[in-house]
Amino acid sequence: MGHHNPDSPSHLKHYFHDVNQQYETSKFAMWAFILTEVLTFAGLFVAYIVYRSWYPDMFVDAHKLLDVNKGLMNTIVLITSSLTMALAIWAIQKNNKKLSVLMLVATFIFALVFLGIKYLEYSHKFEVGQLPGEFYSYMGPDAAHLNNPHIFFSIYFIMTGLHGLHVAIGMGLIAWLIYSTQKGNLTSEYYTPMEMIGIFWHLVDLIWIYLFPLFYLIG
Amino acid sequence: MSEHHITPLRTYLIIAASLLFLSGVTVWVSYIDLGSFNIVLAMFVATVKASLVAFFFMHLLWDDKKNLTMFLMSLMFFGIFVTITMLDTEFRGDLGLNPETKDPINKRAAFYDTLPLTDTHGHPVDEHSDKHHEDKDHH
Repeated sequence: MGHHNPDSPSHLKHYFHDVNQQYETSKFAMWAFILTEVLTFAGLFVAYIVYRSWYPDMFVDAHKLLDVNKGLMNTIVLITSSLTMALAIWAIQKNNKKLSVLMLVATFIFALVFLGIKYLEYSHKFEVGQLPGEFYSYMGPDAAHLNNPHIFFSIYFIMTGLHGLHVAIGMGLIAWLIYSTQKGNLTSEYYTPMEMIGIFWHLVDLIWIYLFPLFYLIG
Repeated sequence: MSEHHITPLRTYLIIAASLLFLSGVTVWVSYIDLGSFNIVLAMFVATVKASLVAFFFMHLLWDDKKNLTMFLMSLMFFGIFVTITMLDTEFRGDLGLNPETKDPINKRAAFYDTLPLTDTHGHPVDEHSDKHHEDKDHH
């Protein structure tokens, strides 16, 4: 750091020309990561598309075993959490630390509510045996005519499960943001981690935007 | 960092309200039977919502276009992935090589014994004629 201009901020790494270049580089790398995330989920979306085209009627019938109200509630919760995340960044850009922390806490709570609702859904499915693959054992009257419903639940659990894992990881990252912002490490001069985690959090919202109609609102 | 674009509060609130409104629309529309058009409409609404999230919440609208390029590339790869996979899975029957018919996937499920074996279209499959085929392949 010996070559540092004494005027340059402490968060500027010596291998960057200026803070803006550093910020743009971080952001571009984040989008490269988002690309890998989209491709990870792409594999699962392809599985969904292939099996749905093989079993169109079963998908329509099996989806009726899901609770639309819980799915819609989670959609509302996640969209609201995306708003509070965006507002946390807006607040830190305006150097309003208090509001930023408040918005991050709100985002964290919404994420917790999302996982709570997901837990209620999952535990009900575990109870009645609407489970993936060979663990499927539900033989209720509304499922007696279904042809291979365990395929639907395999895809449902893997896709919503991986999405839920992203929500959980996002909560960890947001908790760290709350700590860093409260401590004063993030300011309007330097809030790169919040912007990056924000992009991650909006991706989680974006994927749910597709999962919701694909699983809860078929036909 | 003061030179970064700061999106006005009003924009964020309008986008969030639009997203909530469109979520309501997509649920409402799903209760109307439009046949195969239901899925088209649902995916259209989802894509409008996803675009709002990407351009406004993820700031792609104001970013350097290299970030948008990266995102669109991921969608392009997804398109290639789907297309090439479906060129296989959608035409297996045409070759008489449908592995789903030969080895039904409900084999390992708990309720296996209670249901007749079916092909991908739900038609019953005769186990014995299938075995006969396999024998012929081996010799």
